Parts: sequence; structure tokens; C-alpha cells
Amino acid sequence: MRSIAAKAVVPVAVAVTGFVVVCCILLYSFIKGDMLNSAIQREVSLAGIIVKSTRYAMLHDDRESLRNIISNIGEQSEVEHSRIFNHSGLIVYSSDPEEVNQLVDKKNAGCVGCHEKEVPATNLGPMEQARRFANEKGHHVVAITAPIYNEPSCSTAECHFHPANLKVLGTLDIGLSAEPLRATLATLAWRMVVFCLMVLVLTVGGVCALLRRNILLPITNLVAYANAATRGNTDAPPPGGIDEIEMLGQSLQSLALRLEKKDRELEALRGRGGEPVPTRPTPPDTFAD
Amino acid sequence: MTERSDPSGEQPTPSRLDRGPLREEVRREIRRLHQLSNRGLWGLAIFILISLGAQRNFNFLPTFSEGARAVLGAAPPVKLISIALVVYSFSALVLILSRMMGGTETYRGWAHLGYLSGFYFFYYYAEALPDNFWAVFAAGATILSLEYYAIWSYCSEAIRTEKELLGKLED
Repeated sequence: MRSIAAKAVVPVAVAVTGFVVVCCILLYSFIKGDMLNSAIQREVSLAGIIVKSTRYAMLHDDRESLRNIISNIGEQSEVEHSRIFNHSGLIVYSSDPEEVNQLVDKKNAGCVGCHEKEVPATNLGPMEQARRFANEKGHHVVAITAPIYNEPSCSTAECHFHPANLKVLGTLDIGLSAEPLRATLATLAWRMVVFCLMVLVLTVGGVCALLRRNILLPITNLVAYANAATRGNTDAPPPGGIDEIEMLGQSLQSLALRLEKKDRELEALRGRGGEPVPTRPTPPDTFAD
Repeated sequence: MTERSDPSGEQPTPSRLDRGPLREEVRREIRRLHQLSNRGLWGLAIFILISLGAQRNFNFLPTFSEGARAVLGAAPPVKLISIALVVYSFSALVLILSRMMGGTETYRGWAHLGYLSGFYFFYYYAEALPDNFWAVFAAGATILSLEYYAIWSYCSEAIRTEKELLGKLED
């Protein structure tokens, strides 16, 4: 961990990758929330369309038509369930015939939103009407409970009578499969993982390549030059590349030349005096290590 | 630590005797640097422990009562908490990198531990912790790892210098 490459690459790689991962996770969370909200809005609209489509049949107390409408809606591939229950919680129409005439538990996820207080709430926002769960088949479902409100035409209809003070006559409960949404989110997650890996490779690769080209190679050349100069070979020019390395090389060269000159002068002086000239100690090759 | 006996059998000179307290001081400094270096690991370990609790959505803690929620007020929007997390992560990383460049021996991991626990708390209070746990965890792991790396590389460098000095004093 003492090399320049490790010291430069590790902090950059950790900081960039970590930050990109945090941003990707939060971005994924934002996109997931937005897509879920959009799916819920669409379901709320769909529930409104169904309630409007059944209005005429309800006004005329045409139970057979209502049964057929709910049953046909339930046959659609992405519809997990569709049912209408009255204000007492009794399921009157359902895409699953076995559910008809059963009571809905008011403590269930879809009901507690309105029924958690003693006096049930009659108006809920679109997000409060939605619930997410896995049904008995193990399918993930996004379900909407849309209230069917009392209207003057309902309370004054001849066929059947609803008291005018009853605000909610019943509830449409429709659940759509969340599998397409989950598949889209899974694809998005994989794409983000690939993006993170690409950012990591590019960052680490880019820093490594720049370090190798601008720092490591000039330093290696300088080490080779210093070793050669230590052995007395000063013929080669000092290495270039970057200004600092070039200046260091030139300093080394002038140092080696001065040492060579002093050696020659010493040799000449001792030669004249008839004394034996001591040989220069062999320098260790420490630079190469 | 006992004084080494001189193998030559000569009496130590006064200047060599004076090196004893200096050697002890260098050894103390090495121990202090080792402890400082370990702080990074402690910070990471404590963060992992807090994260283990957060991953379980702090289900071992009592839930907020209606009264407590009324006192504390409404939770901030989840998007705002997430934006704050991004801004915090960015500034923390920039500060750690600049501190690393300056080569200071300060360890700010404890403060980051507090900030990250705060983010866990805010997400928990806004009932959005399961969806955002990994974002806080990734931010914490990155920031505390980088803090650890910064303090570890500073201490390694300083310990090497101190050991060289100790070697020279013991010669």
C-alpha cells in the first residue's frame, strides 16, 4: 500500500463508487415511488371508470348486468380481483363467486383507512385508497378501494331505496397485478448496477492510466537513470516526461558529472604524488528496489 | 521495558543514558498512533452494529406513541431527507479527501456516526427506513471507510518514521 498507484487509486475509487452507489439507490427509490404513484393514479382512474360504467345498472337495480360487468373485469389477465361490497361490508358482486355474501373484515388493510375511527371517513386521497400486498396465490397486488357515493338519483329511485343521509352506498375493490411494475423495477435496478460498475471501471482505469503515463513511467525511468549514474554511466540524457522529474533528472546528472570530475581530479593528484588511488566503493543498487 | 545491556561491557556514556526517556517517549507515541489508527475500525464496527438494528427497522425499540408524535411533529418529507443525505455524503467525501491531502491526524468518524444515525432516525420516523436503508448504509460505509483509510495511512506513515527514529536511538 506504499506505492503511488495504491495511494492515489484507493481513496478516489472508494469515494466515487460510494457516492455513485448512494445516488443510484436514492434515484432508484425516487423512481420506484414515482412509478408506484403513477400506477396508483391509473388504478384510481380505472376504478372511477368502472363505478361510472356500473351507475346505470345500479340505478335500475340490474343485478345481472352488474354481476356480468364485475365478472368480465375479473377475467382480464392483469386483474387479480374485483368486487363490490355494500356499506355493511357484505360482498355483493365479485369476480370470485365463492366470495359473494361473505363479510369483509373492517380491520383489513384496504378497510382500516376509513374504518380506523368510530365514525368512518368518507373521503380519502388516491394514495390512501391504495394498498399493496401479496395475495394467497403469492402474486403481488396493488389494490384500490373506491367508494360508491349516494346521489339524489339513488335515494329517490323507484326501484330500490337508499336513505338520503347515507353518504357511501358501497365500495368497489379492484386489485391489479404488480408483477409488470416489479419486472420494470428489477430491470432498472440491474441497469443501475451495470452503470455503477462502468463508473467504477472508468474511474479506477482512468486514474491508473493517467498515473502510469504521467507519474509511474517517468519515475521508473528516473530510477533507471539514477542507477546508471551511480555506476558511473552519465552519457545517457536525463529522463523527461513531467517538469519535476525532468528537473530531478538534470540535478542528478549534474551531481554525477561533478562527482566524476572530482574523482578524476583526485586520481590525477594522487597519481602525481605516487600514492595508490583508492577505488571508489561499489554503490548498492537500492534505487531499483 | 528493560534497558538492553551493552555487549561490549563498556560503561554507557552520559549521552547514551539520556536517550532512555527519549526512547520511551517514541514508544509512547507509537502506541498512541496505533490507538488512533484503531479508532477507524471502532467507528466502522459501531456503524455496522447500528445498521444491523436499522435493517430490522429498529423492531426491538418501542414504537412512537401518538403523544410522542404529537410532541415531535410531522416527519420531514422523505424526498427532503434523501436530498439532505446526498448533500451530506458529497460534502463529507470532499472534506475527507481534502483532509487526506493536508495530512492531518484528526479523526471525524464519531461525528459522522452521529449524522448517519440521525439519517436512520429520520427515515425511521418518516416510516421509510426499509426503502432507504441501503442508501444510508452505502453512504456510511463509504464515508467511514474513507475516514479509516485516511487515519490509517497517516498513522502508518507516522509509525514508520517513529520506528526509524527508535532504531537510530537504539543503535
